[in-house]
Amino acid sequence: MTSTVTESVVSPTTSETDTDTAVAADEVLAELLIEEISIDGMCGVY
Amino acid sequence: MTHYALHPQVGLRDEAFGALAYHYGNRRLTFLNDARLVTVVRTAAEHQDIDDALAAAGVPDGQRPAYLTALQRLHDAEILTCE
Repeated sequence: MTSTVTESVVSPTTSETDTDTAVAADEVLAELLIEEISIDGMCGVY
Repeated sequence: MTHYALHPQVGLRDEAFGALAYHYGNRRLTFLNDARLVTVVRTAAEHQDIDDALAAAGVPDGQRPAYLTALQRLHDAEILTCE
């Protein structure tokens, strides 16, 4: 008699991680593109 | 469809790194550190929507989400108006 063992392997999904990484990369690039400062209260500094 | 335009109270000055945007109303100063972003900001009003402006400025498709995020921040800072 032959027994058959069926094993199901669940691969970790990477799509969520990939999406998170892409969003993080977009945020980093957006941060590099612009930089905001307020000059209020800087009178007398220069 | 998103249509951005430079806020009428904002002055834009070209710099070696890109441009400086100064809002005369809220007195905020914003550094635009990318020549393509400066082009988009300058020409956004001339295009039907922001996707056209991004394409005309040569922004790669893969970088558009980051540019759209940056443009949304410029809108939040009142550098850009949005219709």
